[in-house]
Amino acid sequence: MESLTQIRRIILTLLMSGFALLMIMPFIWMISTSFKSPADVFTYPVQWIPTNLKWEHHIKVWSGADTFATYYLNSLKISLISTIGAVFLSAFAAYGFARIQFKGRETLFLIYLSMMMVPPQVLFVPKFLMFEWVGIYNTHWALILPGMFTIFGVFMLRQFFLSVPSEISEAAFIDGAGHLRIFFRLVLPLAKPALATLAIIDFSWHWNDYENALVFLIDKDLYTVPLGLQNFILENNVDYNGMMAAATAGIIPMIIVFLVGQHYIIQGVAGSAVKG
Amino acid sequence: MHKSWMKRQSRLGYLFIGPNMIGVLLFFIIPAVYSFYLMFTDYKFMSPETHFVGLDNIRRMMNDDLFGVALRNTFVFLLAVPVSMGLAFIVAVALNKSVYWQKTLRALYFMPYITSGVAIAFVWMLLFQPTSGPINGFLRGIGIANPPGWLSTTEWSMYAIDIIWIWFMLGYNMIIYLAALQEIPEELVEAARIDGARPWQTIRHVIWPLVSPTTFLLLITGLIMTIKNFGIIQAITQGGPGNSTTVLSLFIYQNAFRYYEMGYAAAISWALFAIIMIFTVLQWIGQKRWVHY
Repeated sequence: MESLTQIRRIILTLLMSGFALLMIMPFIWMISTSFKSPADVFTYPVQWIPTNLKWEHHIKVWSGADTFATYYLNSLKISLISTIGAVFLSAFAAYGFARIQFKGRETLFLIYLSMMMVPPQVLFVPKFLMFEWVGIYNTHWALILPGMFTIFGVFMLRQFFLSVPSEISEAAFIDGAGHLRIFFRLVLPLAKPALATLAIIDFSWHWNDYENALVFLIDKDLYTVPLGLQNFILENNVDYNGMMAAATAGIIPMIIVFLVGQHYIIQGVAGSAVKG
Repeated sequence: MHKSWMKRQSRLGYLFIGPNMIGVLLFFIIPAVYSFYLMFTDYKFMSPETHFVGLDNIRRMMNDDLFGVALRNTFVFLLAVPVSMGLAFIVAVALNKSVYWQKTLRALYFMPYITSGVAIAFVWMLLFQPTSGPINGFLRGIGIANPPGWLSTTEWSMYAIDIIWIWFMLGYNMIIYLAALQEIPEELVEAARIDGARPWQTIRHVIWPLVSPTTFLLLITGLIMTIKNFGIIQAITQGGPGNSTTVLSLFIYQNAFRYYEMGYAAAISWALFAIIMIFTVLQWIGQKRWVHY
């Protein structure tokens, strides 16, 4: 009996591994194609390991006039500043919503939640006109400034702060500490895992954000990775190896972030959806 | 005494929420109100004059054949959601307890979701290449003489997008299902086993009903997430060939930033809002049901 379940387990593992392999096949194909010669791109059966490795496509992506180095720097700048701002500003607001009684709190929170329903398409045109008017259209500020405000972040951290036992802050109140002190000294350090989760999820959003960059940026030297990638492919639309080298460059950072922050990402995604 | 304390609390509350509220006001609320106003104008970018046109944009939308096409394409796009969920449920049940390498496998399935973006769009574009791409190469290999033209044909393009989207959403759905499965008390599954239920009977009659609130939640949030998305489609097909992959969200983008018909785009974007609103109300009703579990 015991060995029968063992066998079942092994078969199921193999089956699921096969399916998992199918899931990541596009990535494997992408990386392998980026090292092939143009003639080998579509040979069938697929050459998973190229017979003669070519580095030139990767070199092309990283050199020349519009290089991925620029896109990386732009994306990094936008994603980092937005994420740091978003985490801090969300934490502040979430604490207010979760821990302080004040007039109009429920109404305000309801307005916040209702804003989550508004599709980004509703906001694109007015934001475009507003940014044009204040002169931040076609600058990184057009992505950074709105990026520092995330309703999801407030929502997620509020859930977390609500779960912090109130005895902790009550004790601090008796000792004469105010909300600001409690927030910085007690709640924020306790919330480190939640903050890290939000930071990683938010960073991945900013890094992958294509739509906003598409609407608000024109100059090539301002391009982020998704936009740079699109640009590269439009200009080299027959160079399939180059396309795949560029796609690899676009994906690698997120894969690294995922491998490092896997636990947080999965926990955060699961927690926010099920408890939210 | 008490009153002044309340006042102080209120002031503190606004102090904490204030900074965030300014941003929400500037980048969400004001644009939303502004867009609502634009819906009733003939505003075109760079045009000298703007007029109040009442319901003209909405009327135009109702009579616009392209709007109908976009709406239909959107529904075909939404088909990906239940399919992806079905696959995700199977994967989640399999990965919940009964396999080795659980963590690695979960990470592999989740990978597409984190690498969202234009990159994967271009990879799929080549995979789907009709004459010499690997997918059709495989289909020919198993004896299908005339495999579909995928992204290059109007009949298949939307389904090709669906396949990409199913692949993309699968990991996300799986993770949520896994979280739900872990909440199921061990005794229930054990009891079913002792009663002589076969594994698939346990899944069908015990596990599936118990995760039904999650199924519902995933369905609604998935529909909302999908209906808003246009990045992947914009990157791969720009809505083509013809208008066969122009979904509603992309249609709005095109009207606003390709044709600069911003008043009209605003009107369609509120139609999109209305659909999302319906989904949200459904979810709200469903959540009430969910509390009973």
